[in-house]
Amino acid sequence: MLVDDKYFLGVDVGSVSTNMVLLRPDNTVKEALYLRTQGRPMQIIQEGIKQIRSKIGKSAEIIGVGATGSARQLAATLLGADVVKNEITAHAVAASRVNPQVQTILEIGGQDSKIIILRDGVVSDFAMNTVCAAGTGSFLDQQASRLGIKIEEFGPLALEAKNPVRIAGRCSVFAESDMIHKQQLGHSLPDILAGLCQAMVRNYLNNVGKNKDIRGPIFFQGGVAANPGICKAFEEEIGQSIIVPENYDVMGALGAAYLAQEKVGSRPGTLTQFRGLNLGETQFQAKSFDCTGCANRCEVVEITQDGASLARWGDRCGKWSGAGVAGTITGTSEVNLKEEKQKEEKQKEEKQKEEKRGA
Amino acid sequence: MRIGFPRALYYFDYYPFWAGFFHCLDIEVVTSPPTHRQIMDQGLKKASDETCLPLKLLAGHIQAFKDVDWIFLPRIVSVEADTYTCPKFLGIPESMLPAIPPGMSVLTVNLNWRKGKRQVLKDLEVLGEQLGKSKADIRKAFSQGLEWQQNYQDSMGAEWNFEESIREINRARKNSTESVQVPTLVRLKDRVLAKLPARTSKYTPESRIVDQKTTERLRIGLVGHSYLTHESYANLNLLKRLREKATVELVQNVNQEEVKRHLSGLRKKLFWSHSKQIYGAGKKFVADQKVDGIIYLTCFGCGTDSMVQELVSHKAREQHKPYMVVTLDEHSGEAGLVTRLEAFLDMVERRRAHEGYVSTYGECLDRNSNTV
Repeated sequence: MLVDDKYFLGVDVGSVSTNMVLLRPDNTVKEALYLRTQGRPMQIIQEGIKQIRSKIGKSAEIIGVGATGSARQLAATLLGADVVKNEITAHAVAASRVNPQVQTILEIGGQDSKIIILRDGVVSDFAMNTVCAAGTGSFLDQQASRLGIKIEEFGPLALEAKNPVRIAGRCSVFAESDMIHKQQLGHSLPDILAGLCQAMVRNYLNNVGKNKDIRGPIFFQGGVAANPGICKAFEEEIGQSIIVPENYDVMGALGAAYLAQEKVGSRPGTLTQFRGLNLGETQFQAKSFDCTGCANRCEVVEITQDGASLARWGDRCGKWSGAGVAGTITGTSEVNLKEEKQKEEKQKEEKQKEEKRGA
Repeated sequence: MRIGFPRALYYFDYYPFWAGFFHCLDIEVVTSPPTHRQIMDQGLKKASDETCLPLKLLAGHIQAFKDVDWIFLPRIVSVEADTYTCPKFLGIPESMLPAIPPGMSVLTVNLNWRKGKRQVLKDLEVLGEQLGKSKADIRKAFSQGLEWQQNYQDSMGAEWNFEESIREINRARKNSTESVQVPTLVRLKDRVLAKLPARTSKYTPESRIVDQKTTERLRIGLVGHSYLTHESYANLNLLKRLREKATVELVQNVNQEEVKRHLSGLRKKLFWSHSKQIYGAGKKFVADQKVDGIIYLTCFGCGTDSMVQELVSHKAREQHKPYMVVTLDEHSGEAGLVTRLEAFLDMVERRRAHEGYVSTYGECLDRNSNTV
């Protein structure tokens, strides 16, 4: 069957995990990948493409690509995405496709947590955590490694708790010191873990979920949804049952795939911008440098593929990101450096003059 | 004589007054350059750790001056009856002393409009003594400053662009020699009118398309202090980013009568002038059917916003108006801001499209929810 050989690809590159979903045109998931980003998004994206390639037949074809997540720009550049969307829209789209009735989405990822309120399948309100990272997956990760347990064991252990201890959840730093005190008082590990889950949920609901009208059905997605301890704490705190969807950990990628499908479907005949499944074999490189064109000193990033520049970003003025990819960066920045040196020398001279005047 | 005027805080509200005042006294006013990374870094180093971002920026701007005789840091206690400015404004000359580069001196003056125009004039005369100006000079300069400020504010009411009106003021300052040429109200208004699309005169198909586009465009109310919304470096170009995708209404452009009308519902008066403007205008945006969503821009550690933001959010929720708070701090990473903005605009747009065929006003929900 020919239809089976066509797929939409959704990619969600987050701070902790990089997820990919292959979606069949009939809306079923062919393949879902959950990889740890490990601070190397480019290599992991390539790794993911390699894995996907090995799992689908040679005649298979990718007919649309969607990118989301905090590194969506990077992913879109590497892959040649047809649609680039923020995480909130992607998560909402995925959840409402899986279950059109869903009214609330709790999403806790590696470094951010969000709540999305849906009514009739449309986002009507959302909130993301502010600067503080308390109550996100990476905090749990950190604590698990501090306690010497695997993150996978965290949830099941927390479920064994008989008397969860109370831990201050306002700030992750305080929570940690509180936990240490409780440990030293002799509380059992499961009790502490369960207390931590409750603290995190409390913090989430007070912070992100403040003033939000949480109604069922409630979806809980993102990597942290794998932790049954957190699910239980949520159910206790909200007083309603929580649904963890089948592909809870790759919902962002799934949403991106749906969005790609929408985009490509809305304009039949258009071809995908996908750059091919052999991406895994090429060499991508990222260079970053401080632009010295003005006092802002923007940190500009350039992505190159086999030596040719693909894209640049990070500048405020658009000098680099807007410019064509011709001309290497190093050459121009050297010129800038020269100018800068001259300027600095001038300033020095002026300073000396001033000092003389002052004397 | 050259006076350094930092491009921070009160610059965004009262610069025209001081420009007019010093211009009339024949004193050159130098403004610091628009904020850049070094200014921010310097400010973070020198300002008190516990203060808010705009004050840290002020500390940075102070250090950006070279070759000025004085750095001008007025203590603006109040600008109208029954209110004060933010407490952090009141402490300004002293709290900024650690940031003053060695060898530079501070010029300050107390301005307290609560005590009336006379007192203000008296205080300015004290300032004049320091500068070697006579009382008559000061009086003349005072009225010119007021005139410039008035022109500026009138133009703001007419949706005048902040940067443009400042440019206008600077141009007027440069052009005028002996005969003092003031940017007159008539001229400003003419230019505003000239900027509007000519709807009445020609109704060509082209202009109809333009009209259609303007109605299709999202209209977002941006609520926040002038020194945050116009501070494009610190707010990571929020205003420009928004304007690319939507028509933006600013708090500063809402006229005083309207603000006053919307303040009437409060049980207790607001103490702070800025907050009055923010709340009144914010409430106006909430009530305005044409405004599709409201973004409240605040900064970490803002005391007055901690209350006013809640007040505005209550109003927004009552009316089911899409509402989002953006909190600024020292971060330069734009990803977080861009994600929130995109998601917010997406939501507003999808919601609007949805409301197009399903009535949402019939359904009643609890007042603590922002949802329909």
